[in-house]
Amino acid sequence: MDPIRSTYEADPDMLEIVCDFARELPARVTKLEALLTTRAFAELQTLAHQLKGAGGGYGFPQITEVAGRLEQALKSGLPEPVIEDRAAELCAILRAVVVPETR
Amino acid sequence: MNPQVPNPNRVLVIDDSESIHKLVIARLRPEGLEVIGESDGERGIERAVADQPDVILLDISLPNVDGFEVCRRLKEHASTRNIPIIFLTGTADTESKVRGLDLGAVDYVTKPFDQVELRARVRAALRTKRLQDILEQQSFLDGLTGLWNRSYLDRRLESELNVARRYGRPLTLVLADVDHFKRVNDSLGHLFGDIVLQGIAEGLRAYARRSDIVARYGGEEFAILLTDTNLRSAVHVSERLRMSAESRHFEARSEIVSVTASFGVACSEEIGPVLTPEELIRAADVALYASKDAGRNCVHVYRNGELLLTTGDPEALGP
Repeated sequence: MDPIRSTYEADPDMLEIVCDFARELPARVTKLEALLTTRAFAELQTLAHQLKGAGGGYGFPQITEVAGRLEQALKSGLPEPVIEDRAAELCAILRAVVVPETR
Repeated sequence: MNPQVPNPNRVLVIDDSESIHKLVIARLRPEGLEVIGESDGERGIERAVADQPDVILLDISLPNVDGFEVCRRLKEHASTRNIPIIFLTGTADTESKVRGLDLGAVDYVTKPFDQVELRARVRAALRTKRLQDILEQQSFLDGLTGLWNRSYLDRRLESELNVARRYGRPLTLVLADVDHFKRVNDSLGHLFGDIVLQGIAEGLRAYARRSDIVARYGGEEFAILLTDTNLRSAVHVSERLRMSAESRHFEARSEIVSVTASFGVACSEEIGPVLTPEELIRAADVALYASKDAGRNCVHVYRNGELLLTTGDPEALGP
């Protein structure tokens, strides 16, 4: 997957918090995978919901889109393989995010 | 407290996601807005009551108490009822939006939100809030004197009594009535009477403390509510107010007129454990009439069913 950059990197109001957000993503991936392994679906849904709500606001519309798909799958109780696919898709996107450089 | 409209610039964000808090701060701070936040509903309500924000951004899906319930409770509370609520919703379904608006929210923003839209919606809510505050405040001001009016005083009296009861603090009410005002009005005219009332009001406001609530209670009667003040301190304040009236001079045609006022003081501590606003007013009124009967231009206090003259007698309340 190509590296993903925030569309707000050039916005001085945003740069610092975009960096914070991007730096915290590996921890979220770890948490997401742990929740998936233990089948803690309620918490997984909360995490997906939060990523959906925040992603676009930080200039990552892809996160919002894919996290939304995972949330939807969990909400509708879709089969576990579907949930696993969508979770994997979300993790791939989160891993592809590049932390912006600060001067 | 002097009537004034505070700058509407504080936004409370109630959302369980730290990322959303940071985002709202980054987006609203450049607008000159102060952003405060809470991550769950219960604490959000407490914060709204304590900090009186000018607008609340409220997430719908909160842990424990959800956003709808938080909204309902904020609208129930007298002190938070008028704060505009904008729902932050992760799901754009019509049902949630309608439910939120029906509960009294003014608007909603769908997450992830566009910054321009967020700012515009917050600005619009703040504008409405500001106009509402001005209207509300005007409805609580007395047109002639610029003091608070009776309906404001009655409202504050009730809420301050609750505070006094809850925290075990004394609350004192002072009633003041201009002496022989009818005579002044009849001999020198109503216009002159109005000038006298304005002058007395100015004196009361100048000599009251910042925290005192000074109101015109009716005709030539004034009420001053002294929060966190016991009988002894209230007597000091009242004596100062009495002298402020006495020392004022009004020019009418070719003569100099001075007026005096009589005072009655009652404190929540000296009456009873379960005290209603009416009982406090009645006690202060009884004391005021004692001052009238004693020849006017003096202060009486009501204490445990007794009426004591304090003017000219610093030991009246005991050592």
